[in-house]
Amino acid sequence: MECSFGITGKGYTIIASDSNAARSIVKMKTDEDKQKVLSDHLVMTYSGESGDTLQFSEYIERNLRLYGIRNHVELRPRAAASWIRAQIADSLRTRNAYQVNLLLGGFDLPTSEPALYWVDYLGTLATVPFAAHGYGAFFALSTLDRYHRPDMSLEEGLDLLRRCINELKTRFIVDLGTFKVRVVDREGVREVKL
Amino acid sequence: MSRSYDRALTVFSPDGHLFQVDYALEAVRKGTCAVGVRGKDVVVLGVEKKSVLQLQDPRTIRKTAMIDDHVCLAFAGLTADARILIDKARIECQSHRLTVEDPVTVDYITRHIAGIQQRYTQSGGVRPFGISTLIIGFDANETRPRLYQTEPSGMYSAWKANAIGRSSKTVREFLEKNHKDDMTKDETIKLAIKSLLEVVQTGAKNIEIALMEGHGQVRNLELAEIEKFVEEITKEKEAEAERRRNRLAATAGAQASMS
Amino acid sequence: MNSILSRFSSTNALPANFDNEGGRQDFQDSINGAPAQFDLPGTEPARFLSQYTDVDSSNPAARIKLQHGTTTLAFRYKGGIIVCVDSRATAGSYIASGTVKKVIEINPYLLGTMAGGAADCQYWECRLHELRNKERISVAAASKYLSNIVYSYKGMGLSMGTMICGWDKTGPALFYVDSDGTRLKGDVFSVGSGSTFAYGVLDQGYHWDLTDAEAQELGRRSIYAATHRDAYSGNTINLYHVKEEGWEFIANYDAMNLHYDGPGDNVPGAPGGGYGWDVRTQGLSSKLEATEGQQTSGQGGRFADEQPLTASVQPPQA
Repeated sequence: MECSFGITGKGYTIIASDSNAARSIVKMKTDEDKQKVLSDHLVMTYSGESGDTLQFSEYIERNLRLYGIRNHVELRPRAAASWIRAQIADSLRTRNAYQVNLLLGGFDLPTSEPALYWVDYLGTLATVPFAAHGYGAFFALSTLDRYHRPDMSLEEGLDLLRRCINELKTRFIVDLGTFKVRVVDREGVREVKL
Repeated sequence: MSRSYDRALTVFSPDGHLFQVDYALEAVRKGTCAVGVRGKDVVVLGVEKKSVLQLQDPRTIRKTAMIDDHVCLAFAGLTADARILIDKARIECQSHRLTVEDPVTVDYITRHIAGIQQRYTQSGGVRPFGISTLIIGFDANETRPRLYQTEPSGMYSAWKANAIGRSSKTVREFLEKNHKDDMTKDETIKLAIKSLLEVVQTGAKNIEIALMEGHGQVRNLELAEIEKFVEEITKEKEAEAERRRNRLAATAGAQASMS
Repeated sequence: MNSILSRFSSTNALPANFDNEGGRQDFQDSINGAPAQFDLPGTEPARFLSQYTDVDSSNPAARIKLQHGTTTLAFRYKGGIIVCVDSRATAGSYIASGTVKKVIEINPYLLGTMAGGAADCQYWECRLHELRNKERISVAAASKYLSNIVYSYKGMGLSMGTMICGWDKTGPALFYVDSDGTRLKGDVFSVGSGSTFAYGVLDQGYHWDLTDAEAQELGRRSIYAATHRDAYSGNTINLYHVKEEGWEFIANYDAMNLHYDGPGDNVPGAPGGGYGWDVRTQGLSSKLEATEGQQTSGQGGRFADEQPLTASVQPPQA
């Protein structure tokens, strides 16, 4: 029942994910942050098999930090996405693969472009203008197809996100509660209240 | 036969020395000087930078290294060895965060680094790290700065202020004379620079200062900032020299009038 | 080597004639008089474990009985952490024991609750950490150790849900760890077959500023609720309170006594009397007597020729 969204606009990427942690029919927690800030200009949402998500995302987080400290420069979003994809692809060929789906939202300083990557547990990597994981994708992708423009202002982008969440509220049988939203732009990563 | 103690690392000499470890200390003594000074709520690392050659890229020569957001290290000795040790320390820092969630304490990472150095004095087919390190940092949720030193033997110790590398003895003696408890930020930086100037002749452009003011607040001072301090120090020294000259002249005058 | 490997893989993808190295090894073993092969206990962990465990109550010969019927709860509030658990152990439809300790006292500052096994190893990890780091282990680190351990057993049939509670440098801390490898930091958790019932009381009565007495009463009542509604939970209830100076065992209560009589006389926070609905509501009635002038109708109910009651009039169709 997990769900996450990503939307790019003019000079920014929005990343959003629900904040539930559930086990069987019980919500264990409703304010869980299922995102990791990987560097000044890169955020990742993760969903999938519980346990795997945590182990994998922390592994990624620490390794990218190590890269930053070692090289005095952070990986660019494209490079980070490729490396993360490779980690999933490598793990897929083992006995206990990480079953994790990711969205990577970033801002690439050298090209001044926002970046959004959709990664699934099979190691698929796609560069996309907007993205969704989980059941939310079934409802919101058409909404995104209809209303998204590459040159949306941040307010328009957030409005589009509100539309998607609103669509879930009206049509999806499960209430996903509040979404955690982060925006990445030239200034870095910040959390936004919808 | 008698030569074999200094060949085989893991063999003691008859008088209880591990010669390779002693030689490693010699490499440290030949290395550029580094000082660490602890103030009230800041801690400073200062290093003597070798002059950069005309066509060299100065960014590729670093004598202080960030180990984690809250730990910094300076070394004296073989730069190449330091690179390896620093990398091991960096990995341990991230690995520690991964397994226990908290960042390392300065004590912990010092112990880890010294542990690696010790291992290289007791294993076959290896040689010790030819470096001493100064490690500064702040523990999470604490305001007290920390300063540690490690040696090639694997020994480690905590300090208020210390120096390693070339002429470290002179610098340490200077620090012993001039260190006060609870120094302010400026006093701490000034003491670090002043002590380095004891052995660095070329002034501000050959000094690198890393300043840490709290958990995760590290930065290298800009050249202009260092120059400001150096200027201040030279002025003080000149004033001091002037006073001494006057005093000398006065006594000489007095002696002349007496005779 | 390959013969061992092929037993690891679920599909025997290797062609038979590819196995020449393993063949040689078998040959050599038979020369030395050693058995050509013997079963390694690790070849199929899930099946190996199922021989000794009783996950679906179908294996009475099991040596390791898992406590799948259980209710445990822990919550954080301004005065520390309340930990409360039942004590029933079930094997199939039998109550195997009514005096199981489901709280593990890891050290004077750390408690773990038990639903399923495997939390015991925690003790040694923590002691080691203390010796190495001259400092008590943080709750975050202790729970992370445990989650890393159980994660390494993922997919091997381990079943566990635990709450690690303690007081460290950061104050009171509570983590939920389960055998999926999930690890959550939070304020209110309940685990086990009766957890939904416990949540039902706990969530409604919980707020941060509870007094110690109120908090203990809330924990007690929540577990009581679960023992009442969940057949797999019951017998007695153990109550612990984690404070700055370490945890304290408050008391052990018989769930049946709680139902009829409550926790006893002069227990702070308890209103007195039994928790059971029937006990609590004894003497209360929903009967609403007619006032003067109101219709009471006849013995058989409402008279057919009376005016319809306003409440039963259908609203007009829109």
